[in-house]
Amino acid sequence: MRVCASVLRAVAWVAFLLPVCGFAPNPSQKIGTDVIVTAALAYEPLAAIRGEERFPKGAQLLLLHDGKTEPLLTDFAATADANVSFDAHRVLFSGKKRVTDAWQIWELTLRDHDVRQLTEGQQDAIRPLYLPDGNMVYALRTPQGFQLESAKIALTENSDGQKPAGTLAVLPLTYSQASAVPADVLADGRILFEAGFPLGSGAVPEMFLVYSDGSGVESYRCDHGTGMVGGRWGGKQLASGDVVFTHGDSLARFTSPLAHEERIAAPHAEYAGAIIETASGAWLVSARSTNSSPYALKLFKPGAVASRTVYARGENVVEPVLVAPRNRPRRHPSALHEWDYANMLALDARISRDGPLSGVPVSVRLEMQDAAGRAVAMGTAPVEKDGSFFVKAPADKPIRFALLDGKGAVLRQEHGWFWIRRGEQRICVGCHAGPERASENRVPAVLLRTTTAVDLTSAVQHSLSGGN
Amino acid sequence: MNWPIHRWLQPAVVAVLAAVAAVLLGVSVGHGDAAHAAAMPVTGEVLNYASPVELLFSPDGARLYVLCQQSDEVRVLDAKSDAAIKSITVGRVPRGFSLSASGDRLFVANSWDDTVSIIDTKSLAITATWPVGSEPSSIVADREGKRLFVANRISNDVAVLDANTGVEEKRLAAGRGASYITPSPDGSRLYVTHVYPNPTPHRTAPESEITVIDTARAVVVDRIILHNIAHAFHVAFSADGRLGVAAEMHPKNLIPLAHLEHGGAFADTLMLFGADVGKPVEIPLDELERYAVRPFGVAIMADKSRIFVTCEGSELVTVLDVQRLLRFAHTHRGPNAQDLSASADYVIAHIAVGHDPRGMAMKHDGHSLLVANRLDDTISVIDTRTNRLASTIALAGPKKLSVLRHGEQTFYTARHSFQGQIGCANCHIDSTFDGLTWDLEPDGFGRDIVDNRPIEDVKDTEPFKWNGGNPNLPTECGPRTEKYFWRAENYDDLTLTDLVVYIRSLQARPNRWRRPISESTPAQERGKDLFTRDKDKFGNAILETNRCVFCHSGKKGTNQKSFDVGTKKWTDNTGPLDTPQLTNIGITGPYLHDGSAATLEQIWTVFNPEDKHGRTNDLTKDELNDLIEYLRTR
Repeated sequence: MRVCASVLRAVAWVAFLLPVCGFAPNPSQKIGTDVIVTAALAYEPLAAIRGEERFPKGAQLLLLHDGKTEPLLTDFAATADANVSFDAHRVLFSGKKRVTDAWQIWELTLRDHDVRQLTEGQQDAIRPLYLPDGNMVYALRTPQGFQLESAKIALTENSDGQKPAGTLAVLPLTYSQASAVPADVLADGRILFEAGFPLGSGAVPEMFLVYSDGSGVESYRCDHGTGMVGGRWGGKQLASGDVVFTHGDSLARFTSPLAHEERIAAPHAEYAGAIIETASGAWLVSARSTNSSPYALKLFKPGAVASRTVYARGENVVEPVLVAPRNRPRRHPSALHEWDYANMLALDARISRDGPLSGVPVSVRLEMQDAAGRAVAMGTAPVEKDGSFFVKAPADKPIRFALLDGKGAVLRQEHGWFWIRRGEQRICVGCHAGPERASENRVPAVLLRTTTAVDLTSAVQHSLSGGN
Repeated sequence: MNWPIHRWLQPAVVAVLAAVAAVLLGVSVGHGDAAHAAAMPVTGEVLNYASPVELLFSPDGARLYVLCQQSDEVRVLDAKSDAAIKSITVGRVPRGFSLSASGDRLFVANSWDDTVSIIDTKSLAITATWPVGSEPSSIVADREGKRLFVANRISNDVAVLDANTGVEEKRLAAGRGASYITPSPDGSRLYVTHVYPNPTPHRTAPESEITVIDTARAVVVDRIILHNIAHAFHVAFSADGRLGVAAEMHPKNLIPLAHLEHGGAFADTLMLFGADVGKPVEIPLDELERYAVRPFGVAIMADKSRIFVTCEGSELVTVLDVQRLLRFAHTHRGPNAQDLSASADYVIAHIAVGHDPRGMAMKHDGHSLLVANRLDDTISVIDTRTNRLASTIALAGPKKLSVLRHGEQTFYTARHSFQGQIGCANCHIDSTFDGLTWDLEPDGFGRDIVDNRPIEDVKDTEPFKWNGGNPNLPTECGPRTEKYFWRAENYDDLTLTDLVVYIRSLQARPNRWRRPISESTPAQERGKDLFTRDKDKFGNAILETNRCVFCHSGKKGTNQKSFDVGTKKWTDNTGPLDTPQLTNIGITGPYLHDGSAATLEQIWTVFNPEDKHGRTNDLTKDELNDLIEYLRTR
């Protein structure tokens, strides 16, 4: 019996994994639900992180439905970036009415095919994702590259049901001198986004997290892909809570127990972004075997080393999304104060994944990145013997810290830039301690001495050499 | 920021709805507690749930004894068929039980009756009920059948009784809130844990202990110090006695509670001790994004291959590989509690079970581990060969979920907080208090350090917070909790209402010092006179507003108003302080708004130099003792 069962399983898997090249006539039935994809002659998945165009030759959303493939929208010059609402009734997408238009965010109601414009402007707005409670997040092109913004979708209609042009209430979420693009909204409500590493200064794609009010920005993990070539991007959370992403020519995952990524046995391919978990547990992904062939939709069971092509055509087929209800992430209750500054408490600045310091930190220097990308010194604050310090920092600006010894020499300096939101009170366990490092239960020495943060919001500003 | 107004309005709407619903549901509750909600005369629906907390198999494995906290019963089931054999009514809120070495007697600690019930396991009848200390929570007999050891939560000690007569021989000092006793495999030692931290200096880390008792001599022979631990629960031993494991909670109460990510509020840990590890080693159970909230019960496989831990708030059983665990313990001597990636080295499974899993019992074949789900009235059966849930036994009783029950489930679960890190019961142990002070973020880092006030008998003591800033429980438990504690989307309206109804139903545990007025001790009478006096010892009138009884008036000892009583420190923000209720004040230290007074006496001898907190500087040491004797009766 056991042998028979094994044979049957093997046969079933061979059938499942038999590669089918070219067009598959009934992809949505194979996947088990309708699918929306973006079809594009040219696709540069990481272009947005560089502030460039991902679809230089245009793009079109297609609906794979009941064995048919049809354009999701017909009166647009370009459409892309579909994101299905949690109840599967609506679809956010980026689109252009005319080729010369900038990408803007639109919403389609699937039942009546009503389409309404949610953003309006001269700058590209791309990669919209639904947030809980009727919000959305997207990336808006700015002089500093793409930056994340959130907006209340419901506010785009007034009492007459008309969209009030240009009055969309938006909240900037990222404050960096480099591009950031949203990738997913995690079940706990945090926004997963892609940007270059080190944040605000580097170019290697990496994944970061931020709350939906722009607070708490941090790297998802601080191993930063050690031992693997290429950046990490295209992250998507599975039902298990794991986040699966593209790393180089393979897939990897973040799991709750591990502080570092875990490689996934997956078909060798060039992946075009996030995997989609289907109802059957199989993974749907856009990938290609050589960089001269277009990306196609492929399906495989997690752990398998071969995939099955379920939809391909003469152009790239990327960004698949299922038209199916899904769990709504939890809303993040913003607790930002009504301040125009931010507070930051470091519990022990000496703690770092980078190893022990070469000396004893006596003070910390706060640096802010100006509009030209230069580092500007905002002043220093004392570091207590236990490594704690407490500063009032400029809000919504790229900042970083440098630890100084008694002679003012830099013992360690952060490579990247981060920000603290207006009214945010942030605690750091250490400088680059990593998310796996929890706090130690002791009163930071600085709070035994004073509860007033050293004001570094408007100190005498000095340009520093070596700014990025 | 440009937030839409209705985002801000929503919590207020929820609060109003919840308040209205609470009133409509009739929360004029006379008494109630975590275990006794069913006995309360509420106008809402009251159902008599079982609430299983501990499990035991008979020595021959034929019977399963289930200790039911809310129905005040020991239920006896056929271990094979799960069929009910008999229900034996015991005292109020039974918390612990154990069998004699021969299995002929079952001892039950009735925590709210201050008694133990002795059950003959042949007749399944109670043969004796003996008075013991204050809030007996666990009871263990020695191997010889001569002595019983009873952990008393209120008197912080272990009473040693004659096992045949119940006569108390002596008391052994244990940790604060002594609650759980576990014998070593050979019975020669008893290991006692406690649920409230031992007193430590203000704004220093909590400390607990495992009190080790020599069973034959009935003396304390060791105190294993648990640094940074505030609450410890069950202990288990490997069969060879070389490995002891205690479930415990490691709070982060000394740093501002600004956010919950990265274990910002608690570490859920085990303490390993014994010959296998040498010096005790703390082992974290949490992960980066998944937490093992409030570890309570511990079981070790007879072959010492795995450890099972019930995690109340997470509603799961965590499984650890012992060999991997020991390897980690030998290479990581600590401190380890800060490492959220450590558990990947030895945690091998998480098994979802029911609401508020507590005690466990292993079947004799070692293949099945039973878990008591207190707030489900179920017993989860785990297949230890697969580390999976095999089945669930439903205990007889109401199947309907009442408002109170749902509120209690909400109180105990951690699922509402960010990444499921904490629940109400993390800081209100068994729906009471935690003996800790906390630094909450909205008041400023390092500012307004607050003593965690007990929530027993909290109804009609509004407003809440030490600054009186929260007018009612729906506000306290709704918008405030969402923003500053859970840091995640909170309850829906009905769940918040149920939670509030539950909290308002909590009654004070029995006061162990209070007697009928006619039986008050002379010291209590003298103390009462001091409490209510209007003239000092020199005959000078005491301003009405500076009399104890002015602010601490009424049945609950609060006039629900705020005052400046001269106790503020440089770390405090401005504004008066809410007058706290005095319910069971004798056991709820530390005291004052910031927990700076370790004892009641310090309130007046250290923190009342100008008599702003009542006229007390004219009182002698003896008179202050009288005042304390009276206050203890409140």
